[in-house]
Amino acid sequence: MAAEATLIPRKTSGLKRLFERFPFLPALVILVVLFALNGFYQPRSIGLVGITGLLKTYMPLMLLAVAQTYVVYAGDIDLSVGAIVSLVNVTIIVLMQQWGGEALPVLGAMAVGIGVGLACGIINGIVVAAFRLQAIVATFATSIFFTGLALYVLPVAGAPAPAAFWRTYGGRFAEIPFVFYVVVVLAVLLYLLARTRLATQLLAVGDDAQGAFQSGLPVTAIRMKGYALCGLFAALAAFCVTGDTASGDPLVGGKMTLSAVAAVVLGGSALSGGFGTVVGSVIGALIIGLISSLVYFMGTPSEWQNLVQGLAILLALMAGILVGRRARA
Amino acid sequence: MPKLKLSGVSKAYGATVALRRGDLEIESGEVHVLIGSNGSGKSTLCKIVAGSVRPDSGEVLLDGKPVAVSGPQASRALGIGIFYQELSLAAHRTVAENICLPDMPVSAGVFVDKVTLEERAARYVRLFEDVAGEGFSADAPVNSLRADQRQLVEIMKALASEAPVLIFDEPTSALDRAQVDRFFEILRDLKKEARAMVFISHRMDEIFAIGDRVTVIRDGETVGTSRIAETDPAAVVRLMVGEQDELAPQTPEPEQARTTTREVLLSVSGLSGPGFVNIGFEVARGEILGFGGLHGQGQSSVLRAIFGAGLVSAGEIMLKGERLAARTPRDAIRRGVAYVSGDRGRDGVIQGRPIIENVTPIHYLRNRLTIARPSALRDKALRALEALHTKFATLSHPINSLSGGNQQKVVIARWLIDRPDILLLDDPTKGIDLSAKADLFALIRKLAEEGMGIVLYSSEDAELLNNADRILVFNGGSVTRELTGADRTRYNLYHAAYEAA
Repeated sequence: MAAEATLIPRKTSGLKRLFERFPFLPALVILVVLFALNGFYQPRSIGLVGITGLLKTYMPLMLLAVAQTYVVYAGDIDLSVGAIVSLVNVTIIVLMQQWGGEALPVLGAMAVGIGVGLACGIINGIVVAAFRLQAIVATFATSIFFTGLALYVLPVAGAPAPAAFWRTYGGRFAEIPFVFYVVVVLAVLLYLLARTRLATQLLAVGDDAQGAFQSGLPVTAIRMKGYALCGLFAALAAFCVTGDTASGDPLVGGKMTLSAVAAVVLGGSALSGGFGTVVGSVIGALIIGLISSLVYFMGTPSEWQNLVQGLAILLALMAGILVGRRARA
Repeated sequence: MPKLKLSGVSKAYGATVALRRGDLEIESGEVHVLIGSNGSGKSTLCKIVAGSVRPDSGEVLLDGKPVAVSGPQASRALGIGIFYQELSLAAHRTVAENICLPDMPVSAGVFVDKVTLEERAARYVRLFEDVAGEGFSADAPVNSLRADQRQLVEIMKALASEAPVLIFDEPTSALDRAQVDRFFEILRDLKKEARAMVFISHRMDEIFAIGDRVTVIRDGETVGTSRIAETDPAAVVRLMVGEQDELAPQTPEPEQARTTTREVLLSVSGLSGPGFVNIGFEVARGEILGFGGLHGQGQSSVLRAIFGAGLVSAGEIMLKGERLAARTPRDAIRRGVAYVSGDRGRDGVIQGRPIIENVTPIHYLRNRLTIARPSALRDKALRALEALHTKFATLSHPINSLSGGNQQKVVIARWLIDRPDILLLDDPTKGIDLSAKADLFALIRKLAEEGMGIVLYSSEDAELLNNADRILVFNGGSVTRELTGADRTRYNLYHAAYEAA
């Protein structure tokens, strides 16, 4: 065809295609570098014990970053994820105290916890998608509301979790630490979720909500499902927090909210929606974790730790953007 | 009995009446052309049928039965598929995902059935296989595609609805001739399947090539329907413009006298960059230089490069004898270069802001004003808008309340407060109605006569032939032919555009 002969050839590099498929590659590079640095300053930190510890401590943040990602897919944001973690944490602690620490009551409490997380997510969904309030302010308001509920359920921090609970989370099965099973289950779960129609629909809404509506997608329902999924993963994060800290604390999740948002961005997702991966968010959470441990292993004086940590996160963010931009150009 | 019938449909947005009284009857097995100037209510009518806009009054009858189109989902369920003028694509999703987005095949109730999805998408991708161009594949993300390729995806998405009623709201505005021809072949096949189709276009030749009947809408009201076979372009245009009888001005032959006082304003030599190689030309004061050729042959890239919005790898640009190496549009604007793009949404309109803010940014930049004083600017803004016969309620209305043609007039008006030396027009009339085009070209000619140098790229050959004093034909990223004087014929233009580079 004449028209085809006149088209200007475009260069497509293999690297560019790789980055389009795996937008978390820059984050992965940063993760590997941080891992090596950790190993350099504290060789034991990259052994089995070190990695187990890292996963145990940062599993909640990984899950919370995943939770945030599904909302960010659709161009929304959820500033209440941390408050949901707190609420679920105190709920299951109180229930386990009342029902006893046996296997069945513990599972029952966890089921209730899942329900609480889902309910919080659905409330956010209704407020943002159905009432059409600004996501950033509306979820900020619900976060205060959820924190209020958590303080009502357990006014002071410190109620202990049953031994069965935290021993399981910190323990081993068949010589393999429990958190590794969690990682495997999480990987399977994320793999399956990435293949759902919902994931594609969320991303389509994030790309162009009006276009998605005009295509006949139930945009409101899709955004609400995103928030519900977020609430669900926040509940899972709360289980890991409870396993890690072995106690109830009505304010435990608050400071995790923005770390989760940061992890999502570090992982290469666009806060404007339509583009991102959950794997990236998991890597982002690990980057944040490795930065804090690196700051510690480097022997930074305690009064400088926050400053160094903040700088390091900024650097990681810049490095990720620079690498990604160069690869895509 | 008509397949689809709309009677007395109306829609108002606040005080702005988008559609006063829309009537339309479509038979099965016909391509029904809807024509009218921009802002006449065509798109609103289509969106009412598609369910994305709810009518204030009126009736929609499908197969003779009144139906309530409560939303896009309901419309799909009723068997109505639509091509949206502004496209409804998810930029980061692949072509295949976009084609199937409205109705994703699932397995086990929740998972995307990739095999079925790819099969279904492949069926529609195949239709345009040999005309889609390089880089087009089912697994390419939509944001990696050119404008014409995106438009093809939207066409495929509409076709994939397999709906008995199909609405195409300006589906051909970015397509090249081969793509349009293929699209028309498909429409003819669908006609044989007794589908009912609505087709909107501003190109008269297309309308007469594919239409069976034509309905004309003017100022939100249906003014008449006639058989294509029984009418002619002049009659259709008369219906469209109503009282206005003057059409696109036939420019007189450029006066040769003008060349005696030829003063070169812009001269470009050996300019190369992404998408164009070794471009050289001169624009004199008072001259309209045309860029022609098929879509995407480097015309836009050259204009954007001069304006500092695109990359230059080699070559020199001289403005009034001084080197212009604009690194950003800001540099270029300060030096007196203006650029108007046909892609209003991306390059022109400041979305959601009042009209006055959309008219004045260049004024601020060129005069280094720092404080916004709307009252002091009103007169300047009004004068610029009136020069183009822009229709608007007040200066403080958001620009989105205007029709596409009037939005473009606002964008052009911003360059008229402080006159630039060089005006670069990058397909400025895309999706603009005939009377707005007439206004626009009358203004361009006037600006040229007042001493501006103008470069006009247009994808419509008639616009170039009628308005440009000289035409450079682009082919494969370089200029293959210069048409001057009596050489400026449709035949020469086609010949140069279509020959292999």
